[in-house]
Amino acid sequence: MASGDEYDPTPSEDELEAHLQTRNMVVNLGPSHPATHGTVRLRIELDGETIVSMDPEIGFLHRGFQKSCENVTWTQVLPYTDRLDYVAALANNFGYLTAVETLMGVEIPERAQYIRVIGAEMHRLASHLTTAGALGLELGGFTAFLYALEARELLTDRVTELTGARLTTSFGRIGGVNRDLPPGWVEKVTKTLIKVEELASEVDALLTRNRIFTDRTRGTGVVTTEDALDFGFTGPCLRACGVDYDIRKAKPYWVYSKLEFKTAVGHNGDNFDRYYLRIMEIKESISMIRQCFAKMQPGPVMIEDWRIALPPKEDVYSSIEGVIAHFKLVMEGVPVPPGEVYHSTESPNGELGWYLRSDGSGRPYKCHVRAPGFQILSGLKRMCEGKMLADLIPTFDTINMIGGEVEQ
Amino acid sequence: MSIFALDQIQAQLPDALAERYTDRAGEVWGVIKPEHIKTVATLLKERLGFRLFISMDAVDCLHLPPEQQEPRFEVVYFFKNVERNEHARLKVRVAEGADVPSIRAVFQGANWAERLVWDFYGIGFAGHGDLRRMLTYEEFKGHPLRKDYPLRGRQPLIPERPIRDIFRGPGTNGVQD
Amino acid sequence: MSDDKKVEAAPPKPPPPAGPPAPPPPKNPGMVTFTVDGKEVIAKPGTNMVEAVKQVGVEIPYYCYHPRLTIAANCRMCLVESSGAPPGKLVPACQTAIGEGVAIKTTTDKVRDSQRSVMEFLLLNHPVDCSICDQAGECKLQDYYMRYDFKPTKLEGGKILRNKRKVLGDLVVLDQERCVLCTRCVRFMDEVAKAPQLGVFGRGSHEVIDVAPHFGKLDSNYSGNIVDICPVGALLNRDFRFRARAWFLSAAPSVCTGCSRGCSTFTDFMGQDVYRYRPRENEAINKSWMCDEGRLSYKQINQNRVLSSVLGRGADSREASNAEAVKYAAMKLQPLAGGVAVMASPVASNEDLLAGLAFARDVLKAKQIYVSGRPAGAADFFLMQADKNPNRKGLEWIAAAYGLAVKPFTDLTAALDAGTIKALYAIGADVPEADEVFAKRTEKLELFIVNATNTSKVTAAAHVLLATTSHVEDEGTFTQEAGITQRFRRAFPPKGAAQPSWKWAVDLALELGNEIKAMSSRDVFRSMASAVPELKDFAWDKLAPMSKIRPGITTMASGADGRPPGWREDGIPNMRGLSTPQGTT
Repeated sequence: MASGDEYDPTPSEDELEAHLQTRNMVVNLGPSHPATHGTVRLRIELDGETIVSMDPEIGFLHRGFQKSCENVTWTQVLPYTDRLDYVAALANNFGYLTAVETLMGVEIPERAQYIRVIGAEMHRLASHLTTAGALGLELGGFTAFLYALEARELLTDRVTELTGARLTTSFGRIGGVNRDLPPGWVEKVTKTLIKVEELASEVDALLTRNRIFTDRTRGTGVVTTEDALDFGFTGPCLRACGVDYDIRKAKPYWVYSKLEFKTAVGHNGDNFDRYYLRIMEIKESISMIRQCFAKMQPGPVMIEDWRIALPPKEDVYSSIEGVIAHFKLVMEGVPVPPGEVYHSTESPNGELGWYLRSDGSGRPYKCHVRAPGFQILSGLKRMCEGKMLADLIPTFDTINMIGGEVEQ
Repeated sequence: MSIFALDQIQAQLPDALAERYTDRAGEVWGVIKPEHIKTVATLLKERLGFRLFISMDAVDCLHLPPEQQEPRFEVVYFFKNVERNEHARLKVRVAEGADVPSIRAVFQGANWAERLVWDFYGIGFAGHGDLRRMLTYEEFKGHPLRKDYPLRGRQPLIPERPIRDIFRGPGTNGVQD
Repeated sequence: MSDDKKVEAAPPKPPPPAGPPAPPPPKNPGMVTFTVDGKEVIAKPGTNMVEAVKQVGVEIPYYCYHPRLTIAANCRMCLVESSGAPPGKLVPACQTAIGEGVAIKTTTDKVRDSQRSVMEFLLLNHPVDCSICDQAGECKLQDYYMRYDFKPTKLEGGKILRNKRKVLGDLVVLDQERCVLCTRCVRFMDEVAKAPQLGVFGRGSHEVIDVAPHFGKLDSNYSGNIVDICPVGALLNRDFRFRARAWFLSAAPSVCTGCSRGCSTFTDFMGQDVYRYRPRENEAINKSWMCDEGRLSYKQINQNRVLSSVLGRGADSREASNAEAVKYAAMKLQPLAGGVAVMASPVASNEDLLAGLAFARDVLKAKQIYVSGRPAGAADFFLMQADKNPNRKGLEWIAAAYGLAVKPFTDLTAALDAGTIKALYAIGADVPEADEVFAKRTEKLELFIVNATNTSKVTAAAHVLLATTSHVEDEGTFTQEAGITQRFRRAFPPKGAAQPSWKWAVDLALELGNEIKAMSSRDVFRSMASAVPELKDFAWDKLAPMSKIRPGITTMASGADGRPPGWREDGIPNMRGLSTPQGTT
């Protein structure tokens, strides 16, 4: 510079050491953002790359689940439950049905219980594969995602053959399941499971020992056991903190007590543990489905009580008894006696609890769903504040927030 | 079977337990007096090992048979003792307009759960400190899960909110004036 | 089996076969004490078991029993175990009076077995008809099947075929296949309608209900009631048949406006149409019955309605908005104040008259009112009255309280013919003479304002026609001939731009500078009925509550029960993008 008197290109030592004057920046992650799997808006205040505070704002996917349920018959609630955790619809379907059956004091046939275990575990596979694959995707490993989704697609095809729907299954009815396994399905699933196992191992091999992946997941998104319990974490997120709580073991429902499986438990409570726990559970679920195929016997899949189960179609069309039962069940709903129940099952994300209340009419008086993701998401603030923004992405992924169930 | 929890509550806080009963599935419920719920929650968490917060919600009794209609709301709490493998099922009966003490200070998980109950039923939680609506928006009129809220109730249209918290460029602290 | 224990633990009872040496003294003197399923019940002597156990919430199923008819005990559905019966026998609960210390059991295996067998027999020859049956949803066969039978059929081979559409009379059609032969209809026609026109013909499984040959057809004015009391879908109302499914209808407690008897009714409606009236229990007025004429009087709510206000007469008449109509009418009335005659109809509700007559007295400065109304008609021995106006008593009370002289209709016609009346304000367009005759008389009027619900020759003659709601579209009260005031509830929002008569009076009064403070018919009653000694203690809010009193399937909160979207019990329908419909307050 010509007039160099005023300008000294060499900065002084003080200037170099001085802290850069910055102000906190507010960033909105979402409501529509590739890394937020549902429509959730995270209002994040950043100091540089560090999250100073965050406030998740949810409700974009609120559908009035409970209000809808209170105005339809007990059976008609079923399609609404599909939309809770839409990655694992069968787990919701069966969880809800089991809660209603507990309220009614009904025991369903054993074969139906096996079918419920198979369905729930297949969708647990689908859910865990999605979570693991998407975690890889968001940390830069697109290949793992493709493998995971291929496996999930195979499972979805099998679920379609069983239920007639890819995602919104609405499978099962109060008192059992509405149809038996299709012919040849068991063999198909057995083949599929081999493929799924291979693909899951690929995902495992691609991610678990990957340097970038482990660097970004180990030690990030840590939650202490105390906090996890306090916030109401359940499922893989709680087990990653070292608490061995799996409802399938703690209070076995259906035929889980007849199956041999291990509950994986982590000890760091970080993203890697939550991820790796899911990989372990995938293996256990595959083994459980195989055990079910080996153990299940032919038999009825629906209880035979015309007050609960729809009569066979030939009876409906040809006998007055059948048509009355059909009419009353469809128009008035299954008569659930007055009372209340809290019942929970282990969904892929944790404890899926139902607090149901009946006033004796054919419709639920109250249908509270305890969505595992809701409590976990409420703890996200604690997990992320003071941490790096980049760690939020894997954390948000491993807690597997599903908009459908969190926002009802 | 939350017999242990209720036995302990009965033994240690005899004033707090208003009633206990068994539902048809054989599970035991305890009805806690509203003013004692925080003490009971503390007892459950600190002394009895019910450290896992499960859930809470409310029931509007408006359309139940007449003898069950008073008081109008029931707030239900579920806690879990993982070591004993036992759920505690608690219930607080509260009239319309009355507040329930917040247990947010005991269980952090109750923060959102209480906001949800406030949003859906309009039951206030004294001492919560941040009782905003959870799933609906702040201009929402009424509380949708009350039985007298119509199924097809429509909400008035609201003007677009001025967006104050979107980052508008460096140096503005994210706030546009 | 705690039930059994409790029964045995009760005061020692000698076993029945031993023969009662000395019957124990009654526990409650003057009353009979007995137990049902272990619960102690106290009832008046002579009460039958079905009625006596209702007070402790025990329900005994029955088809043939009806509290207002003699007891036939032929359906055998109500068989229960009683300690007073011979060992091993069940007793029909509808026929058996309770005895001191008797223990009744309604839930034992034996009773259940018997109920199941009865249901099985009743359904044996029943056609597979639910999907096309009007009764579906409010059918006792359906209810009891799900509660007491719930087993598949054992029938092999065909069912006995009978006449599926036997037309009994103008209002009733019989499906003999669906009939369970409870004979309620036969007993009703004999005992209540006093026209024993129905009977049971044939034997065994070929027994059918039919009209007795020498009557030819069922022509009683009370034939509609047998459709109501038929527990199954055998007797059907020809007017209602195939028009709506029962579970889509909502019901509002209401009052029949067919005559001055004022039978309590339910108005069954869907959307903005009434589908039928059903009698509502009222011990003082109509018991559980109503006449066919009144039953069909719902049609005037659906047909020929005045849906918007009309200004002008003849060729230059035009439809106008309500606000415009009020302005126009007020402008016309302004110069004529003091010279406007008022004609009030006893078809209008008390609220309409309270506001309408206050408007007449305070704004139009009327000293007297002329009473119009429907012409007198036939009366009969039971419910139907000659005076076809539901609220004559109320009109007289209100006019008297307001100090308005009540002049008969003939005075009005005389004055009209003499030309002494220049302007006429009419609350209601019903006149007790031929419509065209009255229309002719009004031709000379300078101003003729009519509040009318239905179009007629009279409304065609009006200078200002104000569209008015029918009684089911607003709330209010009627006072029937014996001076009993009854409340009716709103079923659906007003049709078209119609608004209640009291609302027109309030609007006109406001326009003419004399405010009547009322936003709803409730306001009208609360602020004005205190002037009427007979009405001032009436519990307006409490009577005839809207509730779930509705047979059959409980309808949903809204939507699928046929209400228009956005409709609610309280408040104005507020639909996105649509303006608020007028007249809904």
